[in-house]
Amino acid sequence: MKVTVVKNVLDANNRIADDNRKLFDQHKMFVINLMSSPGAGKTSLVERTILALRDKYRIAVIEGDIQDTYDADRIAKLDIPVVQINTGGACHIDGNMIREAFPSFDFSKIDLLIVENVGNLVCPAEFKIGENIKIMLLSTPEGADKPAKYPLMFQESAALLINKIDLMPYVDFDLVKAKRDALALNKDLKIFEVSCKTGTGLDGWISWLTKRIDAFKK
Amino acid sequence: MHELYIAESIINIIGDYAARDGFEKVNSISLSYGRLSCIESKTLQFAFDVQAKGTPAEGAALDFKILPAVIHCFSCEKDLEVKSHTGTCPSCGGLEVVLTAGTEELKILELDVD
Repeated sequence: MKVTVVKNVLDANNRIADDNRKLFDQHKMFVINLMSSPGAGKTSLVERTILALRDKYRIAVIEGDIQDTYDADRIAKLDIPVVQINTGGACHIDGNMIREAFPSFDFSKIDLLIVENVGNLVCPAEFKIGENIKIMLLSTPEGADKPAKYPLMFQESAALLINKIDLMPYVDFDLVKAKRDALALNKDLKIFEVSCKTGTGLDGWISWLTKRIDAFKK
Repeated sequence: MHELYIAESIINIIGDYAARDGFEKVNSISLSYGRLSCIESKTLQFAFDVQAKGTPAEGAALDFKILPAVIHCFSCEKDLEVKSHTGTCPSCGGLEVVLTAGTEELKILELDVD
């Protein structure tokens, strides 16, 4: 016997993500899904972004890692509400994991929620969490071939931050190729060359992000 | 590793249909996904086999229909099937290219059941 199904396998996650988004919208919370390889500098970017915007917006953070609370401890030092999600082996954060962190927050007191996804250049791009925008980091030591090798994340992101730009003299990173390949995949991708260590280039990112948040809140 | 999550979702969906239609055994499941959607069919079958044990889906074969990746080139105005999306037109080398198909998410189309 044949049974016709025609059902999207990720529907369960998409539905939860849509519900999350409705809740975020009700509270006028702007939500960023931050993705990159491990070690590209996501937590450093979160710290820099908090320091630049904490006087303008009430910020909260969800940290996703397979195990440990190392990242959450770093954010907690900045006196920002933070929840660590340990995925326990899963390679990404999904809509339901985000949901489980909700009781830890008072949404009426948050303008900007930054979700730092598990370090992984593949899977996180496939699972919506209810975010307004996906942002990705690529660091110069990783190599300029990443857009060509891992296209999905570059296609899905609203902005790409090329981090550790201060290491350019020491690593063979073809900036022109990385930008060209990334833009070929996603013409609307906004690219920033930054160093979360020295602070270079972060003004552009902060001002772009501020415009996105303010436009959303209107 | 996301294949584990996806396999679990497939098994849950089949469980819902088994409860609704009263079947006890699934012989095969036909599924479709876009070539560029980051699904690895062999890994998914393996994850599925492991997790389906003891459910109506146990032993079912996964029959994949892989949908082609297609780009549209604004320079030569062609629609071309591609193996990967590089942002360059394989015909004229133009860079004004958009991906029009190939990232479709995994769908279950049909179950063959007893």
